[in-house]
Amino acid sequence: MSEQQHAGTQDSTHFGFKTVARDEKVSMVANVFHSVAAKYDVMNDLMSLGIHRLWKRFTIDCSGVRPGQKVLDLAGGTGDLTALFSRRVGPTGQVVLADINESMLNVGKDKLRDMGLVNNISYVQANAEALPFADNSFDIITIAFGLRNVTDKDAALRSMFRVLKPGGRLLVLEFSKPTEAWLSKAYDLYSFKLLPTMGQLVANDRESYQYLAESIRMHPDQDTLKQMMEQAGFAETSYHNLTGGIVALHRGYKF
Amino acid sequence: MLKLLLPGLLCTIGEKVLNPLIQLDPDAQTRLHRLQGKQFAVQLRGIPFRLVLTAQQNGIWLNSHDETVDCSIDTDISALQQLSDPSQLTRLIREDKLRIEGDLQTLQQFSQFFQQLQPDWQESLSAYIGDAAAHRVAGIIKLLEQHIRQYLQQSEQTFRELAQDELRLTPVAAEVQQFSQDVSTLARRTELLQRQLAGLLPQLQAQS
Repeated sequence: MSEQQHAGTQDSTHFGFKTVARDEKVSMVANVFHSVAAKYDVMNDLMSLGIHRLWKRFTIDCSGVRPGQKVLDLAGGTGDLTALFSRRVGPTGQVVLADINESMLNVGKDKLRDMGLVNNISYVQANAEALPFADNSFDIITIAFGLRNVTDKDAALRSMFRVLKPGGRLLVLEFSKPTEAWLSKAYDLYSFKLLPTMGQLVANDRESYQYLAESIRMHPDQDTLKQMMEQAGFAETSYHNLTGGIVALHRGYKF
Repeated sequence: MLKLLLPGLLCTIGEKVLNPLIQLDPDAQTRLHRLQGKQFAVQLRGIPFRLVLTAQQNGIWLNSHDETVDCSIDTDISALQQLSDPSQLTRLIREDKLRIEGDLQTLQQFSQFFQQLQPDWQESLSAYIGDAAAHRVAGIIKLLEQHIRQYLQQSEQTFRELAQDELRLTPVAAEVQQFSQDVSTLARRTELLQRQLAGLLPQLQAQS
């Protein structure tokens, strides 16, 4: 699928398999996440059989985070990555948990406070396309399972590039394209048949999980996303396929 | 498929074991404060990933990456066990069993931290079963530990005597020492001979 197809037209964009007006997508995605926020962590564990924790661990490893660094966890949701970063950057570092969705941010805030992580974390409700931070502010930026929900992904990548310090790195953890045909078929079956049913049973919300499956299919594949990162200005871009390409971790540097 | 994720899994398990043990040691926090913000990496030969330990006031956090750290060592498991004895460092480095990069003090501080780690699990256990019972359990375990250590020492002694003196399967310590001295002498002589031959070679080539 080409980049243009992923982005939709100038006035329209994708919301799962539907084509909607660009202005509408933000509120539609917001509704999805307002709806799933409370059960987000339970559903993540259930849907991935806990493997999402290892994908996030791998992201931390690839970040090469050091004590004292400043990290932006974009679309940070319920704060899994923020928790891992917070412990590693220590009191001399800082982690900013940013999410466009207030409900997700509140769930994340409560969870991290319950974990005793309060000193080096700040919370910002922000749109990835227009980040409210000064140029060259962060050593590391991560966006895990968030980029596919952004309306203008190119604008978001440019915005991340702007706020990243020279020498800093961006890590994009996102659902991608399975590398094996058999896995792709099994994954289709799982995400279009089983996932919405699980959403209905656990979160009482079939539609949001139907959107999740559709949005994954509409997201750029590994090479397209790599290309998009390069167009935004990132250098030495690379990606790792995780769990057969169901998820990919992209990394790029700002020099 | 799971190769990339395995280090993460091991690090997660490692943190879940290590940090509760640190919490059980009342003096660990003070010692940890001295290490705060330091990163130490261990690359064990034969293991395909490098383990990075990051010390913070709230615990030691594990990762796997190849980025720059304060101190990193490249060694094997047998040499790792000998690192607790600082007098062995020079020998291990000379024998290429240990390579150190970065701040040696960080290595010593981490090593010291782990050697001094003494989780007071009796205190923790007493919260569940009461002071008296916890004390009794601790006494039994201590006694058991002593018996096992004694038994292992005796077994080792018996097997050593059997293998060395009765069955003559292995040499005694003095014989090993004599043999390694002979090997060292032979190596020195070979090296000398090699140098002499290298010196003679151009003369022979000039004559022919």
